[in-house]
Amino acid sequence: MRSALNKGRVLFTVWFAHMSAYRAEIIIWMLAGSVPLIMMAVWIAKAQASGGATGGFTPSDFAAYFLAAWLTQQIIVAWVAWELDHHIRQGHLSPKLLRPLDPFWEFFMGHASERFVRLPFMLVILFAGLILVPGTRLTPDAGHVLAYAACASLAFTIRFLIAYSIGLLAFWFDQATALDEFYYVAAAFLTGTFAPLEFYPPFIQAAVEWTPFPYLVYYPVRVLTGAADTPEILRVLGVQLAWLLVMTLVRALLWKQGLKRYGAVGA
Amino acid sequence: MRLLRRLRRYLRVALIFAGASVSAQLEYRANFLVNLFGSLLLAGGSLLGLTVLYGDGQPLGGWSYRETVVVVGLFTFVQGYIGAFLYPNLNRMSEEVRQGTMDFTLLKPVDSQFYLSTRNVNLFRLTDVAIGAGLVVWAARGLEGVSLPGTLLGGVLVIAALWIVYSVWFMLSTTAFWFVKVGNVTELFNGLFRAGQFPVTALPGWVRYVFTFIVPVAFVTTVPAEAITGRARPGSVLAATVVALLLGLISRRFWHFAVRNYTSASS
Repeated sequence: MRSALNKGRVLFTVWFAHMSAYRAEIIIWMLAGSVPLIMMAVWIAKAQASGGATGGFTPSDFAAYFLAAWLTQQIIVAWVAWELDHHIRQGHLSPKLLRPLDPFWEFFMGHASERFVRLPFMLVILFAGLILVPGTRLTPDAGHVLAYAACASLAFTIRFLIAYSIGLLAFWFDQATALDEFYYVAAAFLTGTFAPLEFYPPFIQAAVEWTPFPYLVYYPVRVLTGAADTPEILRVLGVQLAWLLVMTLVRALLWKQGLKRYGAVGA
Repeated sequence: MRLLRRLRRYLRVALIFAGASVSAQLEYRANFLVNLFGSLLLAGGSLLGLTVLYGDGQPLGGWSYRETVVVVGLFTFVQGYIGAFLYPNLNRMSEEVRQGTMDFTLLKPVDSQFYLSTRNVNLFRLTDVAIGAGLVVWAARGLEGVSLPGTLLGGVLVIAALWIVYSVWFMLSTTAFWFVKVGNVTELFNGLFRAGQFPVTALPGWVRYVFTFIVPVAFVTTVPAEAITGRARPGSVLAATVVALLLGLISRRFWHFAVRNYTSASS
């Protein structure tokens, strides 16, 4: 147990130093993920044009929703599919296999520590957003912030496991990163970064409920903005834990089967 | 006469580059299907998004659903153009500066900007160009304001739009001479360009001015779409032309300035 904690601490420190060196690049990636902010502008204009509210959302409701959606999207972003694809096809995975640690943890810590490099810039953009749309209140109380911290961490881990599983498909075929791009396209419309899901046609709402998508952005946003009450928060956490379990099993299965096929190209 | 001869020579070189790059990609024909699927998914998602935005039957910034599909079509078209022609060329610049191979590029007996901009073509991303054009044609056929002169004007404005996008993209890539480590600076444009999938009038007050005068996204999709849907305003047509010419000149100047300051990586 102590050695595991020690490994975790060392990995975190090393990756935090590594990511800090690339902070300019990280800021650019952050600004590139601007869709929730653009959608915020479009929906606010729509609410203003229809006399102050559309579908029960006022401009400041939209501002709170999309700022929270932007924040959540920043927290859950994962590029590990690309990294794994590269490692598997170029053979860089081989040296990592010799270490007494599943390579999963190294990639995971890389992503997790990068969130802390993002943190100051995330706060700056959140405050700018709150000032630009007067009367916006992001969250009602500290309790919802704490619940959100749990929901967002789970959402990040689920998204990371999805990306990891997609990346592992590189053991079988060489278009794994294209699959992750399909994921991005689907996620852009189904996680709730384009619009609050209650604006979608009912059959789509019912269908996405059976996927992890709404539990990555939409529900965490509801938790932060205070739209979710305690029973809903508990339900969201429960479903997220279930998805976490499912994706952990999928990841473990793909890893076990994939390693058997690994030919260590170039190593 | 000499100019004409030069032009013909450059055209021939461009065709040779395109031929070489296309024949290399035809080795990977399965990629075509993957790309086609991705493009269809993206177009389907955009249309679903519009359905959600128009859920209450209200026009968006004075644009009807069909008129906005023209904008979405142009957006998809330009994204395909970026993927096919700009990305595979200009995004290699930072790599060339970093590794010092930019020296060889500068020594080639053709104009270096021309060489850097035309060396590669990503054939498979032309699926987006085709789907975008298809969306424009499909949407325009059901619109009343569409006329032959308007469409021709729209075509000219699309060329101006492509020129604007190229100039901005080229200038961003040229910053690689100073910011060697930052390899993703064009993502800045990508992120802001996402606003181009909506008519600029769908954005609230000051945001609209940002996307017209500071980041010229409005000239790329909204202004050509205005011409196609029969609502062209002389002011914006003139502005689009001037912006295109100006940005072309500035990017050329900026390139010469950058090359003068280039000290090479290893020599």
